[in-house]
Amino acid sequence: MWLVSSSWVWLMCAKLLVARLATRKSLLPQRLKLQSYDLSNSVFSPDGRNFQVEYAVKAVENGGTAIGIRCKDGVVLALEKLVSSKLLKPGANKRIATVDRHVGAVTSGLVPDGRHFVSRAREESSSWRNMYKSPIPVSTLANRMGAYVQAYTMYNSVRPFGITAIVGGWDSEAEHEVDGQVGVGPSTGAGGKVEGEKHGGPFLYMIEPSGSYWGYYGAATGKGRQAAKSELEKLELSGNKLSLEEGVKAAAKIIYIAHEDSKDKEFELEMTWVSSLSGPTKGRHEEVPKALREEAERIAKKSLDEGDEDDAKMEE
Amino acid sequence: MNHFPETWGRPRDDVYGPYNHGYLQAPAPNQHTQSPIVTGTSVVAIKFKDGVVIATDNLASYGSLARFTDVKRLRKFNERTVIGFGGDISDMQHLDRLLNSLSIKENYQHDATDEEDTDGFSADNVHTYLSKVMYARRTKFDPLWNHMLVAGLDSDDEPFLASVDLLGTTFSSPSLATGYGAHLAQPIMRKVVPDEDAVDQVTEEQAVKVIKECMKVLFYRDARSLDNYSIAVIKKEGVNLKLDEKLENQSWQFAERIRGYGTQVN
Amino acid sequence: MASILPGAPQEGIGYSFSQAAPNAASEPRQHSFYPYSDNGGTSLGISGTDFTIMAADTRNVSGYSINTRYSPRLYLIGGEGPENKGARIVLSVVGFTADGSALKERLDNIVKMYKYHHGKPMSVSACAQRLSHLLYSKRFFPFYVSAILGGLDEEGKGALYSYDYVGSYEREQCRSAGAASSLIMPFLDNQVNFKNQYQPGSGTGHNLQAVVAEPLPRERVTQLVRDAFTSAVERHIEVGDGLQMMIITKDGVQEKYVELKKD
Repeated sequence: MWLVSSSWVWLMCAKLLVARLATRKSLLPQRLKLQSYDLSNSVFSPDGRNFQVEYAVKAVENGGTAIGIRCKDGVVLALEKLVSSKLLKPGANKRIATVDRHVGAVTSGLVPDGRHFVSRAREESSSWRNMYKSPIPVSTLANRMGAYVQAYTMYNSVRPFGITAIVGGWDSEAEHEVDGQVGVGPSTGAGGKVEGEKHGGPFLYMIEPSGSYWGYYGAATGKGRQAAKSELEKLELSGNKLSLEEGVKAAAKIIYIAHEDSKDKEFELEMTWVSSLSGPTKGRHEEVPKALREEAERIAKKSLDEGDEDDAKMEE
Repeated sequence: MNHFPETWGRPRDDVYGPYNHGYLQAPAPNQHTQSPIVTGTSVVAIKFKDGVVIATDNLASYGSLARFTDVKRLRKFNERTVIGFGGDISDMQHLDRLLNSLSIKENYQHDATDEEDTDGFSADNVHTYLSKVMYARRTKFDPLWNHMLVAGLDSDDEPFLASVDLLGTTFSSPSLATGYGAHLAQPIMRKVVPDEDAVDQVTEEQAVKVIKECMKVLFYRDARSLDNYSIAVIKKEGVNLKLDEKLENQSWQFAERIRGYGTQVN
Repeated sequence: MASILPGAPQEGIGYSFSQAAPNAASEPRQHSFYPYSDNGGTSLGISGTDFTIMAADTRNVSGYSINTRYSPRLYLIGGEGPENKGARIVLSVVGFTADGSALKERLDNIVKMYKYHHGKPMSVSACAQRLSHLLYSKRFFPFYVSAILGGLDEEGKGALYSYDYVGSYEREQCRSAGAASSLIMPFLDNQVNFKNQYQPGSGTGHNLQAVVAEPLPRERVTQLVRDAFTSAVERHIEVGDGLQMMIITKDGVQEKYVELKKD
């Protein structure tokens, strides 16, 4: 009995194997073949696209809106943190991360991917500090992170990051850059200071799943990015006139506007900022103080309500 | 190529003579720090009813040479902790970097502006951290050649003052001084705060005054000291750190009475 | 001990801090760094029928300098949390304080972990043996401390264990360790173990009848401890400032502090 049944199983196995081999060789329909370009990273489609990266962008498009504004005296980062459960503690589970003293990062898309991104950014900035004994320039950090994210588009053993990251920071304008410095050095002559030289300032970058990154006056990503972008354009940031405090208020308003399309979902506004050494955060990336954030939120809500009233009037 | 893999990639013995195996070996065993090179002298500190005052001069000596005269030997860790370093300056810089990266990592989790968040490091935490670093290094026979005072407020906002040295030895007292200060300044400070109970009677002004007096006495008597100094007051309201102070009201009249060496032999 | 490391203090003058210069003749000078120091201080433990008293002065010195007048040398071991609530074991460490607190922290961790694993507090005898292992495991780079461990044994009697630097230990009635131990120990031999005390009028020579030692009451022992320290302070410069006492009974550990001379 046993012998009979086992040989039957054996036969079935062999049949299956043959069937599989056949599919793999030539019986694969043309349609399936096309689709296989998107199954693996590091494979281009005939028209030169990497589908995996494009799908990663889709993942970002579902995330809560994140924006960054580069003001004349600092940078603001803001996030529409969608509340996935009423059982979560309000104000906990912060999503905008401090990368180094002077740099912050916010991501939209897959949250765990964002955390890995932040952890790598922290490693980069701390290794820079170890090597050069000074804080990493924001542009360098953006470059390093861009290269890191890009590497995840090239190997078939990995998938790209399902996030778009906004990195903002303040490069110190002060002279003493090397920490633990002994002495101030010569004031003139060889090794002396060049007079009138300006260093530092606010910097803002956005890094996409492809690894490409650009410096921005105002950056937006996530679900409400279109609305946010058109609002950012209205601020005329390239004129370098917006103050940090105005930036905070604008950021809150933009997040509220961007949320209009997904009004059914609850959200928390998370905001951080980094100012010049003479500014409120003294060159450090910090959370926007509660009082200021609430004030900004109040103004944002009010202007939204007024907007609704205007719409209503128009209809009349 | 022959059958002796250890000779591969090396000059042939028959052409260049026998291979000198000593070539790639270090001439002497690896050595750890055996003595400090560029050094800072005393650190002095005293508690008062609302906090702590701490001071060092701004000199880094290379032996008896006054090598750097604008060295900041007081390092602020956060709004309630200042560390004063005596001993090797390069080791001080190393420790400063350790503390910097510690505070950056702390910022990942905590928010300095959040009033409700009191979880950040208090002075006693920083002291414990430093003592573990110092003890671990001495246990490796590779000490960081420093003697430090940690001044600030503990987790209950009470004044905190404690010392760590290159062996990892720790102690705490209402007033503390390292190096020559232990001999010259400590007796002056102990008159003001003989014990912990006396701390409550001392005002900030009194504490600053006695510290300035100590810095003066140290400048008079310690040959590796300077009249430029740094002083910090740590209170609940935060740290007031001044890095470029000058000794005031010096009087060298006492020098006339000194006999037995120099120009006044008898 | 002294011969283990180059540059270790050599035998000679009585002060523990007299440190000889490293041997200049020895070939390549490797480490002029000497990883130990002696912070002075003296500890004392006496066990009774239902209690153990541990005591130590609080002066901490480096050479002739007094580092601080109050650094505790008695530590609670085990119990709950950083305050060691409910602990029933006391460790005293004298010698090199950095090693002392490192040793204390290791033992404290072990005793606390024991309770998490086994659901009951560690017995003093088990803790005593574990401490011996701790010291012995650093046999070739020892903790420079004389340790005394005190508590109550499984029968509720006072238990006292004394150690050398490398973990050799025994249970005793009383023991003093540290700077002034040579001053205090003979006093204790006479007053606690009644050494050289004979029944009056029992004769001379072989006829002398020794007074039989028996456990002393708590009040008597407390007084002996204070006398021992006030005397030691008079004769030893590394002892003074304050006396910390911990009395372990079945009701818990009671801590006392009395002033000593500060000269």
